[in-house]
Amino acid sequence: MTAPFRPSRRSVLRDTALGFGALALTDLLHAADAPRAAKPHFAPRAKRVIFLFMKGGPSHIDTFEPKPQLDRDDGKPYPGQRPRVVFAKTGNLLKSPWKFKQYGQSGSPVSELFPHVAGCVDDICFVHSLHGTNPAHGGAVLKLHTGSDNFVRPSMGAWAAYGLGTENANLPAFVTVCPTLAHGGVNNWGAAFLPAECQGVPLGNASTPVESAKVKYIEPTLAAGAQRKQLDLLADLNRGHLAQSGPDAALEGRLDSFEMAFRMQRAMPEAEDISKETKKTHALYGLDDPVTAPFGRQCLLARRLAERGVRFVQVTHSDSNVQWDQHGNLRKGHAKNALEVDKPIAGLLKDLKARGLLKDTLVLWGGEFGRTPTVEGGGNDGRDHNPEGFTVWMAGGGVKPGFRYGATDEYGWYAAENKVHVHDLHATILALLGLDHERLTYRHAGRDFRLTDVHGTVVKDIFA
Amino acid sequence: MRRLPFALLVLLAPATGRAADHTPDDLKFFEARVRPLLAEHCFKCHGPEKQKGDLRLDSPAALAKGGSSGTPLFDRDKPEAGLLLRAVRHATGVEKMPPGKKLADADIAALAQWAARGAPFPAPANVAGLDPAKHWAFQPVRAPAVPAVKRVAWPQSDLDRFVLAKLEAAGLKPAPPADKRTLLRRATFDLTGLPPTPDEIDAFLKDDSPRAFETVVDRLLASPAYGERWGRHWLDVARYADSNGLDENVAHGNAWRYRDYVVAAFNADKPYDRFLREQVAGDLLPAADRSARNDQLVATGFLALGPKVLAEPDEKKMELDIVDEQLDTLGRTVLGLTLGCARCHDHKFDPITASDYYGLAGVFAGTKTMEHFKKVARWHENPLATPDDLKRKADHDARVSKLKADAKALGTKADDTSKKAVQALQAEIAALEKAAPELPSAMGATEGAPTDVPLLRRGNHLTPGAVVARRFPTVLAGKDQPPLPKAQSGRLELAQWLTDAKNPLTARVMVNRVWRWHFGKGLVRSTDNFGLIGEKPTHPELLDRLAADFVADGWSLKKLHKRLMLSATYQMSAAHDATAATADPDNRLLWRANPKRLEAEAVRDALLAVSGLLDRTAGGPALAHVKNRDYLFDHTSKDKTVYTSNRRSVYLPVVRNNLYDVFQLFDAPDAAVPNGDRATTTVPTQALFFLNSDLATRAADALAARVLERAPAERVSALFVLAYGRPPTADESRKVLAGVAALESEFATEPDEAKRARKAWAAVCQAALAANEFIHVH
Repeated sequence: MTAPFRPSRRSVLRDTALGFGALALTDLLHAADAPRAAKPHFAPRAKRVIFLFMKGGPSHIDTFEPKPQLDRDDGKPYPGQRPRVVFAKTGNLLKSPWKFKQYGQSGSPVSELFPHVAGCVDDICFVHSLHGTNPAHGGAVLKLHTGSDNFVRPSMGAWAAYGLGTENANLPAFVTVCPTLAHGGVNNWGAAFLPAECQGVPLGNASTPVESAKVKYIEPTLAAGAQRKQLDLLADLNRGHLAQSGPDAALEGRLDSFEMAFRMQRAMPEAEDISKETKKTHALYGLDDPVTAPFGRQCLLARRLAERGVRFVQVTHSDSNVQWDQHGNLRKGHAKNALEVDKPIAGLLKDLKARGLLKDTLVLWGGEFGRTPTVEGGGNDGRDHNPEGFTVWMAGGGVKPGFRYGATDEYGWYAAENKVHVHDLHATILALLGLDHERLTYRHAGRDFRLTDVHGTVVKDIFA
Repeated sequence: MRRLPFALLVLLAPATGRAADHTPDDLKFFEARVRPLLAEHCFKCHGPEKQKGDLRLDSPAALAKGGSSGTPLFDRDKPEAGLLLRAVRHATGVEKMPPGKKLADADIAALAQWAARGAPFPAPANVAGLDPAKHWAFQPVRAPAVPAVKRVAWPQSDLDRFVLAKLEAAGLKPAPPADKRTLLRRATFDLTGLPPTPDEIDAFLKDDSPRAFETVVDRLLASPAYGERWGRHWLDVARYADSNGLDENVAHGNAWRYRDYVVAAFNADKPYDRFLREQVAGDLLPAADRSARNDQLVATGFLALGPKVLAEPDEKKMELDIVDEQLDTLGRTVLGLTLGCARCHDHKFDPITASDYYGLAGVFAGTKTMEHFKKVARWHENPLATPDDLKRKADHDARVSKLKADAKALGTKADDTSKKAVQALQAEIAALEKAAPELPSAMGATEGAPTDVPLLRRGNHLTPGAVVARRFPTVLAGKDQPPLPKAQSGRLELAQWLTDAKNPLTARVMVNRVWRWHFGKGLVRSTDNFGLIGEKPTHPELLDRLAADFVADGWSLKKLHKRLMLSATYQMSAAHDATAATADPDNRLLWRANPKRLEAEAVRDALLAVSGLLDRTAGGPALAHVKNRDYLFDHTSKDKTVYTSNRRSVYLPVVRNNLYDVFQLFDAPDAAVPNGDRATTTVPTQALFFLNSDLATRAADALAARVLERAPAERVSALFVLAYGRPPTADESRKVLAGVAALESEFATEPDEAKRARKAWAAVCQAALAANEFIHVH
């Protein structure tokens, strides 16, 4: 039970002849194609993941899983057994304020909230039967990202980076764009006990405007010429020291890391620079409209990073109010949230498809839980957290297009048909990447750890 | 004081008797060729999770038992005819295994060879073929005899004889002694986390007495910087943090009191057994005076500082999770045991049963560290107020009440003068309330309702089993333990049992931690796991000897430091030796000193120290901008923490979920779990820090200013002595000056000559600080 072999950065640099000295910028972009890429366990269906995380818990029954019986029984008491542990007290059943229609060849239903995504349903594989274990944001966000709601464990992006490495040695394997610092914060993109290079590198955070979101310390304080001379002196000092101390992998690795940093300073801003994208592309992602521009920019960044070989890109939709967490103000809140992301998401899917990237890029959309079919608060306009059953969807990367898997019960409270636990989702994502979740292990504190702990069943039914 | 007996270790018959039939070569063959292929192709259906056909293939007993068919898997007389081999060869009349794809020929051949050897398979939880209770770490600490050595001139102490005997047995020799500058830099960073100053270097170089190094060690141990350095080490294993982390990241506004307690305890050389007893049960120990009592209350913060899921809606689960966190921390930190594993099932490797776990859990369940478990739950804080504090508070409250009454009385009048007076009063009240004296308190433990808890099947409180009387793990404390008091939690007895001189783990674990923090690797490399799956000690006799001496010295850490540092082993150079490196690449036998990279705190402190920016103010609150229990950042992700101070890193806030990025970059733990063996990683983002961070550029610029104060001919030398503790070679001087010239030409647009020189020197100083020599200790 060992992890796939990954060569050290040192040997990578040697093997790819990326020694010292400056390289032309054009060489940098794909200079190190697949150097650290390790072999998956079996043939992968997806090479990379883009995770569109909707912080706060979007309501599945108001977006992608219509519940006719809920419409009929609006205002009546919920007849079933409520969960033993709930986050807050809720009242009677509340029908969705939005109308659903069926779209595309597949006829997948989508509510009025997502008119643009509705146009892409034939590329989407919905999983309507996800369920988790924790009804509070903190636990549920951590569970979704790391598989654990009470221990610090590596993020799924870190596991992907660990299992597969990066395809571009000038960029990190795992990048997270504007992540939230709340509810687990850095632990949601951390490497925990995995090697540090597997951790997600954040671009800003949820309170940074996306235009100014940057990798920490990426901006050179010296002009390139001066920095080159500085680094030449540094390399000289280091080589002298190394000659004194004798062979030492750590010292050699550190020598290389400065060259890598030097290149990353240029590669990262290049990846972040969307100015050369066409006007049409900008419009596709909604960058021409202030409402959709912020998330549109995040999605466009995700494509650019994925295109350049970043293994796992997470994009978080979160504002200062836990965004999708409509305990009250459901109508206004969900309408605003959906408006901000709908066009950018559809833009991303179309763009990936047009560039031939969708076939091996797995796009995952979802929040930490869904919402209750019952009303919260007095205003008849809110829903509580619901980890018992909710929807995530995937597109591209080897999943069945235009497919719907599983269902919640007639009211949308519990996952009922073909249930998929968060652990199963993790096992499935890894399997799509060519990794066996039972074999992707790391020995720590006396035992082997997995993303799925001792759980997880791969949902092969959704494989294309 | 009541003492519990330690288990008398009874020699049990070997569990299987089979292991003895097989040669080491058989077992090696099994581990190399057979186990991996069984794991890959067979265990999924015939292992711990599934047992298709009632067959398991993951233990010798299971192999002997076979499956539901009743046919033995192996045929002793005709190995080729055994069921297992026929199945993998897809012979007729048997089910083809594994289903689907036939094994590769080489794999089948390996299985055939395995069968021919009699199917050797070591017992699972029994790696050494011994009873787990006989595991080395559970045996009493002995004081082994000092071995004889050939190079009699080398050892400076018995410690060296233990080390040298192993080196000689392996045909290796110790590295020559480190030169004085290297040794001073090593010792100064080791004990204080700071570089030696030029004056300290001079003094040591000038001291020719044979006790020169001892003088240095004594000076360093007496420095307040010692407690700041070694207190920080302890904070690593106490998973210290100034915020809760996890789901509700609220400020541990009073955690700094525990941090200051730890720093002071190290500086005072508080005996380690006392130090532990205070942290586990300080509230229950007698105290000489109020100040000692308050210290002891603060010490119990150790139990309370863990990360908690404060918005867990299942209150019972939260309570049990908190107990689990405390128990697991105590186990790893003090005993080097992963007790938490036994929450859901008997420990898979160590002889710790679920009953052992719940016996201990009762002690913590009867301890109060939480005020309530309603979300958002609130932790308990022990009051620390002195009569003066109380009086100040009462005076303040009385004054506010009076002003409020005055305002109310005046408020009934409608004239302008009264209105103005009311406004003035209200402003005064507001100002007073803003500056209200807060009564001091500290996170910590107090007694709750004493209770025994039921064993929870699979760790789930919805499936409770029988109630387990509070007690300590049988493997360590024996079967006949006196019952814990009905009217108390049992924490006091736990503290006493942990620090009993006969406890086989407490002293060994701590001595090994101190060794690790000096030498870079522990004698037991898995510092937090002394269980069966932990690493075995490289020098078991030495470890025991040090543990025994530590206890005999009254658990004095300062004496332990001296014992380690005044050895030839500590004072070896890190010189590379090709022969030794081939024979022992990991330096397990200690043929040289391990080169070490500075820890995160030392990287930052050293940058500030050599540039003259370091502020040595000690102690006090870590979170000036955030009130106790307030969110560091809630849903807004706006980080209210500031790291702009130039004080030592130990005094910067430790914010879980969003650790200071300099700490994060250089491998400081997130403080969620004890960590006595920090990783050392090298990632390009660390290089970005040295190239572009405010801290690195600020330190480089300040260092340049210091260097430029010197005459031109002395500058490179000043830079090297400050940064590396040594003068440059002629070649290095030339290279650095060439670098300065090259950079000056890059700044040619700067018309002011002095500014141009400052910029060039700053860039050069930055390179010097980024260099390997600066952040490594040899």
